[in-house]
Parts: sequence; structure tokens; C-alpha cells
Amino acid sequence: MIHLQQVSVVYPNGTRALSDIDLHIDRGEFAFITGASGSGKSTLLKLLYRDIVPTEGKVIVDGQDVAKLPPGRVPYLRRKVGVVFQDFRLLPDKTVWENVGFALDVLGASRREKHHKVPLALELVGLSPKAEAYPGQLSAGEQQRVCIARSLVNMPPVLLADEPTGNLDPGMSWEIVQLLDDIGERDTTVIMATHDQDMVDRMGKRVVQLVQGVVVRDVKEGGKYDAP
Amino acid sequence: MRLNTVEFLLRQSWEGIVRNGLISLAAITNIAVALMVLGAIVLTGANLEHMAALEAKAAVITVDLEDGADPADVQAELLADLRVDPKQTRFVSKDEALRQTAQRLGLHLPQSEPEVAADLLAELLGRNPLPNSFRVKTGDPQDIPAVAAQAEKIPGVAEVRYGQQVTEKLLTLAEGTKIAGLLVGLIMTGATLLIIGTTIRLTIYARRREIRIMQLVGATNWFIGIPFVIEGVWQGLGGALVAVAVLLPGYTYVQAYIDQNLEFLSLLYSPSILILFALVILGCGILFGALGSAISLRRYLQTV
Ligand SMILES: Nc1ncnc2c1ncn2[C@@H]1O[C@H](COP(=O)(O)OP(=O)(O)OP(=O)(O)O)[C@@H](O)[C@H]1O
Ligand SMILES: [Mg+2]
Repeated sequence: MIHLQQVSVVYPNGTRALSDIDLHIDRGEFAFITGASGSGKSTLLKLLYRDIVPTEGKVIVDGQDVAKLPPGRVPYLRRKVGVVFQDFRLLPDKTVWENVGFALDVLGASRREKHHKVPLALELVGLSPKAEAYPGQLSAGEQQRVCIARSLVNMPPVLLADEPTGNLDPGMSWEIVQLLDDIGERDTTVIMATHDQDMVDRMGKRVVQLVQGVVVRDVKEGGKYDAP
Repeated sequence: MRLNTVEFLLRQSWEGIVRNGLISLAAITNIAVALMVLGAIVLTGANLEHMAALEAKAAVITVDLEDGADPADVQAELLADLRVDPKQTRFVSKDEALRQTAQRLGLHLPQSEPEVAADLLAELLGRNPLPNSFRVKTGDPQDIPAVAAQAEKIPGVAEVRYGQQVTEKLLTLAEGTKIAGLLVGLIMTGATLLIIGTTIRLTIYARRREIRIMQLVGATNWFIGIPFVIEGVWQGLGGALVAVAVLLPGYTYVQAYIDQNLEFLSLLYSPSILILFALVILGCGILFGALGSAISLRRYLQTV
């Protein structure tokens, strides 16, 4: 599903965020990306929804080389890749319901489809009671869950989550990760960047660890946050 | 397109207008002024052409006969030219010409007695100096010079005259108006596109967060752009409506005034022409709006 071949990313200001990354993630796999702040986790995810293109190497998502994608095709790649953003990216003047519905609106969904899918997504993240609230009226954790609901409302085959539990209490974090795992069970590829040591250790999934833009560890199964 | 999608796009465009209300208003005013100037030029040009056409249609060739020439012979020769309209070709005898002249001069006699005036005139002059003549009309006013040249060659014809100067002057004027209109029109169009483009750029700027999110969740540029184009169209349409609301009553007033006070002039005036004119102005407004916003969108979406 996802292949990175000798990928390097150098930002325009000269910062080298990723160096020579080789990574393969299969369809339906669930993988954690771990590493210290600034190690390149977000950069890695940005490559996968083609927010940026690699400076060197190849990034292939669902059989498509993202760097070679013509601009007109980029939206269609992004429809296949749901993203939970580290900074939520919600629209402050739209309600929770509208924010989630927005992701369907821009894909040209019908009203029926929207009224069917949005409540379902909100139900999944436990935000049904807050449907009519505005992001400014929510706690950070609640906003994060709105973002999660939006990312999965149209059931993309790939789900990227950039520290989706960063603002949640342990109980809620666990629930969210369970939710992502459940989604993963349904043939969805889930990639989650996180600092949450307990979580990673408890889940025992694949762990890819980054240090200063280099993969130092890639444990296929039963991975722990720290090398044993 | 689905109803939900249409509704979504329309709402987005409307929010844009409301968000920068004052700037939208300025844009609409500018468009209105530009379209009014354009419309006024178009109306002026159309009327000059209309007048030229009327002049041309009324244009007559006067063929004066030599004394002693047989009118029947000349008439036969004249009508042999197929460009001449036989139904509108008339013989005017010396006597009738004198009567008409006397009448035109007035001579302060009752109009019902032109003969008296004519006799008086003949007596005054000692004789009737006017020749027998034909008033010749052509089917197509364009043929007048050629027909006149042909008529000069007919035996028994003394002189051929036709009044073409006025028509030519009007046509030149109409032509000049068209060229000036085109120039002013181009400048105005450029300015209008710039104004709409600028307003739309402001909306884009105000919504850059939203645009970014739309792009990240997989909206096509086409989809992202439509609300902005619609917003431009709203503005263009608004400006055009204002222009039409000013131009139509204004023109109606001028037309009525000229009709009453200047008898020799008559302006174009019919519901169908005014409706066509209004539609053209509205069409221009919509086109300008769509084009202006599309241009600034293209620039923005390309850089993101
Ligand atoms: N747009 C950018 N321009 C320049 N440098 C950048 C940009 N984005 C990130 N970087 C740099 O690239 C490196 C990797 O950043 P990245 O955001 O991928 O880290 P991260 O692992 O996600 O960190 P965190 O856990 O704090 O989110 C950092 O040194 C960062 O300063
Ligand atoms: Mg990050």
C-alpha cells in the first residue's frame, strides 16, 4: 500500500527532515511512528498525503508515485488518505457537525449520504452530544476527536493520525486507539505518529522509530516504544 | 450535480460577499459605472447608425430635364435601370415644382391655395425657371451614386443631384463612435476585471484556511474555485443591474425629450431593442464577474 524508497526531505530553508528512508506498509496494517519531537514524524506523514514531495527517492501510495502525480490528480489521492492533523485544522465558524460534513460536501456528497455518515462518525468518536457546538467551545481533546471524525467520515483506505491522542486523557486515548485499530481491522491502513509510550507498549503493533530523520528501528510485531 | 452540492457552493459564494460587504459594494459600484459608460457609448453609436440609415432611406435623386425633353422617354430610360424602384419614382412637372417652391417659401398665403402662390411667384419672376424633373429612389440606398451617374448619361437630362453628404457624415460619426467605444470599452473591461479580481483576492485571503482544509480533504481546484467565481458573478450581475436601472430610464427620458423638442431627430426606441440592450449589459456584467474572479483564482490556486 505504501512504499518509500530511499526518501530524503530537505525543506526549502535547508533543514534536513528525513534521510534515506526505506519503508513498506501493507494494506490493512497498523503502524506506529515514534521518535522525539523534531525527528520527522509529521514530515513522513506529509509525504503520504502529498502535502510535500520528496527531495530524493520515491513515495508510492496505493500504486501511485506521489511526486509524479499531475496537480489535477492530487485531490483524488487525498480522498484515499484521511488525515488526523496534529493541529486539528477545524473551521472555527462551522459547527462540529458542519466541520465533519464539510469533508463530504467538498467531495460532492448528497444530503442523504451526509445525514447518514456524519452522525455515524460523531457517534464513533463519542461526540454526538456536541454536534451543534463550535470548535471554540470544545476542549482540545474534543477538537481532536472532531478531526478524527472528519478524517474517517468517508472511509478512506489509508488513515494517517499525527499524535491523535496528544490532548486526550489515558482513558480516551485508549478508546481512540482502539477505534483506529478497529478501523484498521476493516482493511484500512492506519499509520499513527505518537509520543505515547504506554499506548505503544500496550498495543504491541508495528513500531517504526525515527531519530533525526533516520529510521533506527522497525519492529514488525509486538513493538515496544523503547528498544529492549 | 447534487442539490446538496449546489446549495453548498451557493452558500459559500454568498458568505464571501457578506464577509467583505463594503469592498463588494465598491466593486459593484465600479462595475456599474463601467457598464454605464459602455452602455452609453453603445447607445450613441447605434443611434448614429440608425439616423444614417434613415437619411439614406429618404435619400432621393433629383433628375432635372432639359426644356423640351420628353418626360416619357427619360422615364423609360430611367426605369430600364433595375436598381431604380419604379413605385417610388415620380415625375414632378415644372408647375408642380413651382407650387412646391412657392409653398416652401411660404409667401404668407393660405396653404390651401398653392396655385395662387405659384402664379404670384411666376409673375414675380416673369417666367417659371424650374425644370421638369424626376424624383428617383433606389431599392438600396447604396446604389444612389451609381444610379445617379447612369442617369446623367440619359439624353434630355440636364442635371442630376442627390444629397449624400449628411448620410456620409453620420456614418463617419457612427464609425468614430464605434472605434472610441471599443477603446474605452477595452480600458473599462480591464479596469473592471482588475477590480473584481482584487475583491476576489481579498475573499480568497480571508478564506485561505478553509481553502487549505478543502485541499487537504481532497476537494478539486474546480470545486474550490466555483464559489469564488459565483461571487464574482454576483458582483458583476449587481453592477449590471444598477447600470441597467440607470441607463434605461435615462435613455427613455432623453428619447422622449428629443421626440418632443427636436422634430428632425428620432432616437431608436422599441421594447425589443431595450430588452436586448439590457440583456447585453447583464451578460457583460456576468462575464466580467466570472472572468475577473477566475483570473485571480488561477493565480492563487497555482501557487498553493
Ligand atoms: N515547513 C518546514 N520548513 C522547515 N523546516 C521544517 C518544516 N516543517 C518541519 N521542519 C523541520 O523538520 C524537522 C522535522 O519536523 P517534523 O514536524 O516532521 O517533526 P515531528 O517528528 O513531527 O515533531 P513533533 O513530535 O514535535 O511533532 C524539524 O527539525 C522541523 O524543525
Ligand atoms: Mg509532528
